[in-house]
Amino acid sequence: MDELIYTLKQQIIEALNLEDMKPEDIDENATLFGEGLGLDSIDALELIVMMEKNYGIKLKDPTQGKEIFKSVAVMADFIAKNRTK
Amino acid sequence: MIVCVAHNIISPLGSTSAENYAAVKSGKSALRKYEGLWGLPEPFVASLLDRKAYADENHTIDERIVIDSISNALENTKIDVTSKKVLFIISTTKGNVFLLDESENGFPKERVRLGMMARQISKHFGNPNEPIVVSNACISGVCAQIEAMRYLESGEFDYVIVSGVDVQSAFIVSGFQSFKALSPDECKPFDANRQGLNLGDAAATIIYTKKDEVSENEWIACRGAIRNDANHISGPSRVGEGSFRALKVALGDLESEKIAFINAHGTATSYNDEMESIAIERAGLSSIPVNSLKGYYGHTMGAAGVLETILSMQAVDNHNILATRGFDTLGVTHHLDISNQNRTTEKRAFIKLLSGFGGCNAALLMAKGGLQ
Amino acid sequence: MIKHQVYISPSEVLVDGIPLNHNEKDSALLTELYRNHIGDYPKFFKMDTLSKLGFIASELLLNIEGNRDFEPREDRAVIFFNRNASLQADTHYQSTIQNPENFFPSPAAFVYTLPNIVTGEIAIRNKYFGETSFMVIDDYDEKIIMKNLENAFQDPITKSIIGGWVDCSDEEHFEARIYLMEND
Repeated sequence: MDELIYTLKQQIIEALNLEDMKPEDIDENATLFGEGLGLDSIDALELIVMMEKNYGIKLKDPTQGKEIFKSVAVMADFIAKNRTK
Repeated sequence: MIVCVAHNIISPLGSTSAENYAAVKSGKSALRKYEGLWGLPEPFVASLLDRKAYADENHTIDERIVIDSISNALENTKIDVTSKKVLFIISTTKGNVFLLDESENGFPKERVRLGMMARQISKHFGNPNEPIVVSNACISGVCAQIEAMRYLESGEFDYVIVSGVDVQSAFIVSGFQSFKALSPDECKPFDANRQGLNLGDAAATIIYTKKDEVSENEWIACRGAIRNDANHISGPSRVGEGSFRALKVALGDLESEKIAFINAHGTATSYNDEMESIAIERAGLSSIPVNSLKGYYGHTMGAAGVLETILSMQAVDNHNILATRGFDTLGVTHHLDISNQNRTTEKRAFIKLLSGFGGCNAALLMAKGGLQ
Repeated sequence: MIKHQVYISPSEVLVDGIPLNHNEKDSALLTELYRNHIGDYPKFFKMDTLSKLGFIASELLLNIEGNRDFEPREDRAVIFFNRNASLQADTHYQSTIQNPENFFPSPAAFVYTLPNIVTGEIAIRNKYFGETSFMVIDDYDEKIIMKNLENAFQDPITKSIIGGWVDCSDEEHFEARIYLMEND
């Protein structure tokens, strides 16, 4: 799981162009949106594409993202359970 | 005063303004479901032109329908388009963007530049001026009319030909799909069950000039404004800031009772329609009838502001407030007077409202015979 | 009427005609300018090159104006012209859909496929509720641009404009030539 969390942090930084951030800077339990990393609605859509591209997970309903993108830890858990690649 | 001299609409519903108005008034829509078109993995609902009918080895479909639209608008005028006193303003968001696809080889790649596309059009008519392209996202069609008004007020030109166009492609449809902004069915503006927008092909043209005296049957472009939400590049303001401010300037000191209706953007996305309801209430216009024409044409992007202004002028000429096709139950938090039936009006003015990516909003006040 | 001006090319930066020191060129130049003169706006890294260029140029322009209080205002417009619209972003987005075997349309790339996004970025940064507009002409023409900006003062509220030319075809080819204008 720790490996997946680390990889996921790298992928988030790359997908969302978080230039000045390193994986170590992201607390996997902190909220991604609003306060935490300060991500917005386009970032959420981009994370949906990232999950499909890297893990073969297709979100039917984009509002599902709200739950899944709570934190990196929650996201990693969801990916571990649902990945197809 | 800035006067409308002539106009035209080319869409799947017809090739003249009159054909389009008759189709819309009778409730026709060109929205259809397309599966597997352009190699897109997901189906989509759109209002598309028959591409074969506009095949032209010298012009892309965008260029062709703009040329046809301008030619038709010019038909009963005596305007000399080869004059230096005539300016072409083209309103488009994506123009010939389909040329970026590696498999497209029918036209020089440089035609993907909007200015180069516009030159094909002005060159066709032998106009000597550099054409100006307004590319201000979904509000381009109203911005182009505001630019026309300014150029005529300044006295630099005698006539300005404003033509809006966009033609759908894999590029545009997949982009809106990635935004989860498209409705799986025909769109339902302002409705409680709206699920997003549909896209559409169209070209629409209005020719404007400046006159000191006007007759009571002439259409006057009175005031327009463009305002930004200063909030987010893809989501509208939660308080309708830009639309509210644009509406306020367009309304000016006109009593709101003089307005027949507000022709809203009404794309049928959750955020847009909600935002417009807030902006209209903030501007004190909640009691004025509102309609959206997206249920007939989908969102025609660069053409929308021109096309919807023309249909609204025709509606007022016909003492009609066009029905909002697809609407059933109000699904926004602020009161709006909307109907899915045509309604009558004796009033002679309307406001065209638009909003778009980049946080931009535009409003335009049009009045028949001018403001008395 | 013109109060201040900024020029940026891949190898030269002029603020009111005076060269600004820098080490980098091309798009790395824009990042260097961001780090040396702005530095507190991470959204910068999400922008396409056209938006980065317009954003940096406007920041340099507003830094010379001074008094940056970020108070909301409606009387300042942002009006740009260029030749290539959003070509660099368009090409980037097209690459995400070109291959049917690797078809992953990117929403973050798509949003920048409109040239006027740069005007929105500047409005958001500075809380400008005023007019924002983008126009395209196929060749740089100062007369057309100046006449158009002058016309924009016909708006009843607009008193000043950040306007001019902001063009980018790729990370090595761009040019900003923008002005801060006041109606007097």
